[in-house]
Amino acid sequence: MAKKETPLTALSKALADAVEKAAASTVTVDARRRFPASGIAYAKDLILTASHVVERDEDIKVILPDGSQVEASLVGRDPGSDLALLRIEDAEAAPAEKTEGEIRPGQVALAIGRPSTEGVQASLGIVSAVGGPTRMRRGGVLEGHIRTDAIPYPGFSGGPLIDDAGRILGINTSGLGHGNSIAIPVEIAWKIAGTLEKHGSIKRGYLGIRSQPVDIPENALKALGREQASGLLLVGIEDDSPASEANLMVGDILVGFNSQAIESADELFSLLSGEVVGSPTPIEVLRGGKLETLKVTLTERAEQPRGRKRKRRMAWGFGDPHHRGRGFSYGRGKGRKTSFRMRHPHHGIGYGCFSLDDDDLNDE
Amino acid sequence: MSKSGSLFTPYLNGTVETVRRGLAVVQGRRFSAGAGIIWDENGVVLTNNHVLGRQNPIVTLSDKRQFEARILARDAEVDLAILKIEADALAPLTIGDSTNMRVGEITFAIGHPWGQLGAVTFGIISRLTHAQTRGPRGVVPIMRTDARLAPGNSGGPLINAAGEVIGINTMIIGGDQGMAIPSAVASELIKTVLQQSNKKDDSYYEPKHTPGWGQENVI
Repeated sequence: MAKKETPLTALSKALADAVEKAAASTVTVDARRRFPASGIAYAKDLILTASHVVERDEDIKVILPDGSQVEASLVGRDPGSDLALLRIEDAEAAPAEKTEGEIRPGQVALAIGRPSTEGVQASLGIVSAVGGPTRMRRGGVLEGHIRTDAIPYPGFSGGPLIDDAGRILGINTSGLGHGNSIAIPVEIAWKIAGTLEKHGSIKRGYLGIRSQPVDIPENALKALGREQASGLLLVGIEDDSPASEANLMVGDILVGFNSQAIESADELFSLLSGEVVGSPTPIEVLRGGKLETLKVTLTERAEQPRGRKRKRRMAWGFGDPHHRGRGFSYGRGKGRKTSFRMRHPHHGIGYGCFSLDDDDLNDE
Repeated sequence: MSKSGSLFTPYLNGTVETVRRGLAVVQGRRFSAGAGIIWDENGVVLTNNHVLGRQNPIVTLSDKRQFEARILARDAEVDLAILKIEADALAPLTIGDSTNMRVGEITFAIGHPWGQLGAVTFGIISRLTHAQTRGPRGVVPIMRTDARLAPGNSGGPLINAAGEVIGINTMIIGGDQGMAIPSAVASELIKTVLQQSNKKDDSYYEPKHTPGWGQENVI
């Protein structure tokens, strides 16, 4: 039966072709308790996936698109950006093709996953926003992110977000966005994967300052010699930190790091990783209306202990456990509670209360 | 390309218009209704089994004509029911081939979600998989779509880009994934039923009784 070709059927075919193309380099990653997740073939023997789906460091299985199951070992992981790199043994996967050029809001995006051997899964949406820097839940800061309205079905974490030609736009990490579906742009993900392949981890630098963003005074703008609206006023320097070694002082306005302008703490934070750790790096401050360039040698940030997640139940109030505030405790033992006063962005000031679980009390 | 310069809109309008003419409202229970697909010109209407209650269902066509339908068959195993109405000038839907669908092909779900007649949602085939039935078939193929479904979509068609019926919207999974029975399963059932009812006129075909799908998230 000859079917009539319309733009609709052409679109349908194009989307199915895109899914098929991306599916060839989307694999199943089985490394957590409940159900497997997805991964992308970064190179022939390297699989890039989300860090939160690789719960165990050993006994990792990867199921390739052709259905063959192979053992994989962990090359490295970066919980800060929620990426992990695996190496598969005695097998080859088809490396994924990444998109060229700019990712624009409004363009068609498909979320792809392969959480089971039944075949590939997909959902359709658009790129809702391209933004950054983004603060991730486990403390890292990404230079950018893609927000999409494609539904991330269970097991899509670690899978690709693709465009209508089957090229990769980003890697889905639904576990990180605050209830939204966020993808790490492919350029950033590939860069992190390259570092993971070489070093096994991403070094996060430690500077040792407390700061707040301020407008740069007009008289200092001349000394700065470039258009920059704000900088970071240093309000505290940690003892024995790289900042104090470099003679940074309270009252300095930090305006540049590693010859890049700094306007907010997130921007600074996203630069404090990778090669700058351990090597002398120029840091620009405005001191007394003059621009000074100092050398700072970042040390490595102590890794947060990967312990059991603290379970906290909200007893009443609003917001979520991430709105932390100063609180006080009352009661003793099992029924002990911590309550706090907090300001909610939409609801004003209110009181919240967490009841502590038995687990928490055992920790203390 | 149309006068307005829009690439897809005329085709979308055309497809939806055609499908709506072959879409029926099936009132099978006192307080709820689902959708139905006009299958052929003789008045065979396909819907979901869970749309039907104890009485004879009332079928309302797109041109507001109402008929009391006769139930030809109910198959709880695949949650399908086949009705017959004595009507003429029907506009049956084109039935597509659901066996060679691919993940990523675009789909439209047309039905009456929350009572809005003929509402359309758009998505793609997100998964082709199988489901275990509680009956002699054992395993049937199903398709899942990311087009949003809601109560009232039940029994309505899942349409492909060419405007053909490729599935019957049946269930919502996890709140955001729709499940459809492929049209191949339905046409097989209808073929069996029509053969049986041709032999003995006015017969009522019911496959051996099987417990139905779980009723909790049936739409």
